[in-house]
Amino acid sequence: MKVDTRLLDRVSSGPEFDAKLCLNCGTCTALCPLGLEILPRKIFHHVLLGDKERLLAEENAIFSCLLCRMCEVNCPGGVHIAENVRALRVYLNEEIHGLAEV
Amino acid sequence: MTEPEQAPKVPRRIGVVVCQCGGNISDYVDTEKVRAEIAKDPDVVSSRVEMFACSDAAQQASVQEIREKKLDGLVVCSCSPKLHLATFRAMSARAGLNPYEYTQVNIREQCSWAHTHDREGATGKALRLVRAGVAHTEGTEPLQRIRVETIPQVLVIGAGVAGLRLALALSDMGLSVHLVEKSDHAGGNVARWGTLFPSDRSGEEVTGQLIEEVRGRQNIQLYLRSELVEKSGRVGAFSVRIRTGTGDTIPLTVGAIVVATGFEPYQPAQGEFGYGLEGVVTLPELKEMLAKEPRSLTYHGKEVRTIVYVYCVGSRLPEGEGVQRTYCSRYCCSATSHVSTTLNSVHPELHQFHLFRDIRTYGRYESLYEGARRAGSVFLRYGEEDPPEVSRDDQGLLVRLKDRLMAGEPVEIRPDLVVLVTGMAPRPNEELNRVLKLPIGTDGFYREIHVKLRPVETVVDGVFIVGTAQGPKNVAESVASSLAAGSKTGALLLRGHVELDPQVARVDPTLCTWCGECQAACPYGAIDRVLYGDKEVAQVSPVLCKGEGGCVSACPKQAVSVLGYTHSQITAMIDALAREEA
Repeated sequence: MKVDTRLLDRVSSGPEFDAKLCLNCGTCTALCPLGLEILPRKIFHHVLLGDKERLLAEENAIFSCLLCRMCEVNCPGGVHIAENVRALRVYLNEEIHGLAEV
Repeated sequence: MTEPEQAPKVPRRIGVVVCQCGGNISDYVDTEKVRAEIAKDPDVVSSRVEMFACSDAAQQASVQEIREKKLDGLVVCSCSPKLHLATFRAMSARAGLNPYEYTQVNIREQCSWAHTHDREGATGKALRLVRAGVAHTEGTEPLQRIRVETIPQVLVIGAGVAGLRLALALSDMGLSVHLVEKSDHAGGNVARWGTLFPSDRSGEEVTGQLIEEVRGRQNIQLYLRSELVEKSGRVGAFSVRIRTGTGDTIPLTVGAIVVATGFEPYQPAQGEFGYGLEGVVTLPELKEMLAKEPRSLTYHGKEVRTIVYVYCVGSRLPEGEGVQRTYCSRYCCSATSHVSTTLNSVHPELHQFHLFRDIRTYGRYESLYEGARRAGSVFLRYGEEDPPEVSRDDQGLLVRLKDRLMAGEPVEIRPDLVVLVTGMAPRPNEELNRVLKLPIGTDGFYREIHVKLRPVETVVDGVFIVGTAQGPKNVAESVASSLAAGSKTGALLLRGHVELDPQVARVDPTLCTWCGECQAACPYGAIDRVLYGDKEVAQVSPVLCKGEGGCVSACPKQAVSVLGYTHSQITAMIDALAREEA
């Protein structure tokens, strides 16, 4: 996997994307009521390294997230997980599916 | 067995206390039997068993007994002398008994704890040891601690942040300081480093302020381009010689010596994580680059957009040949977090990847780690067995690592700059080590007496170690240790005198025929050749002698003995140990 910082720059252009604070502890994975194992730490990791292919492969998980924030309120790194998922949805909609901002 | 020849015995009045150590001893040694047996010795005039001989009540009883029975010797059979020799010597002194007429017999570590399976054997061994202790005490003589004057001047070697701060602390106490620095400027490593964590003040500013203050003090003399080349004497009055840059040597007399020689940054070998390739630098090199050019981030004229840091270079290595680099250098995780945060604050578009093994931003430096992540650094973990590889091809630098979070999946990064986060290495200090002969650990740093309780003292009385000469430390820790040495030095020198252990070697001039063997065996230069009547004999300087006894075994005439461990005492102890019951 080759690190490509362009994806990171694009997704994290807004102040709301703060996945770099992630400590990779796994609390989010353990607490997810949907059992979305891939969310959020691994997906964030793909974004941080600019792995677009992996990000696209996990699109279902990104859109399945309930944004319940169970993970977020328990995150020891203080990551705004739900906001980050939203940022990824915006990216996928705009960049991949060509949906313009309404 | 034949009885050895002995000097006519002078009757003694010895007391014996057998300690149970609350069961630690009495569970495996029949303490009452030991007491009853030793009480049969004609020199033993009192004997007791105590639950805890070191307790206040038992000590009070011992003091009373020493006074009432007019004891001239005391034996306590308890734990290791390392634990309570000082306790019972002080107790003897309180009772008016010379503390060197006290003998400690260790029946805990050597009997009860070692022979838990064999009560009878442990008891028998304890009895032999007690008999030897009594035999030793029969030969004791009262000794007085040797009181010597101290010189209120201190030699501090190394004018880095630790040495500078120490010089000021000593100066504040009214002690004169000779601050000797090998290089041509004071300030050490710290002065070159630009901003420091966590205060953001520059190293030059911090050390510059100290240097200015040092230069303003009447009682601090700073010698640049100078080295210590000779040391003799003893605690409180060392004679030293300083060789200056002009080649002159300056003789000084100082009461104490403090070694603040610092560290040198670990220098990677050519090819170690790509070191030597264009664009691969160490953390101190990056710090110097940024100190010179704080606003722009270019390397060889090219703008730097992506940086990869490789942590633990030269630290936490597996055990190997020679100097061991198994230690963590402590400062590097915090320093790297700090430098990357600082960089991101000036260059928000900069990408920084930290390839780490474990992050050790301990204590309040945890916020530096969080700050670095918040500012935009990405942290990737690598395993000790899979270190990252740094190479260069036609597209530029290439860093390959196996990302632990992705189950070891290979990740490739193309940075413009690779920073090897190098730790601290000991300075070789060959000349200084020849002069001072301080103990050095397997890691190459100077070794303290006790890592927790005597952290700045060495086995050489009056010689202290501070700062990173002793092992990796950050600036705050270095300064803390230099102030600790300051207070130890003050405590030593401000009283005006020190008391030395009187258990030193003594030469019997009637037996000595001067062959020089003892002088050759003495590592402290404590033995001189003097005239005794019309013959030459050896004489021991009690203030230089450490009582280590090398001379005793070297002497072919048995003319030297260490007070408290004389030939007749040792012989009597061996006889007592070997004596079979009738």
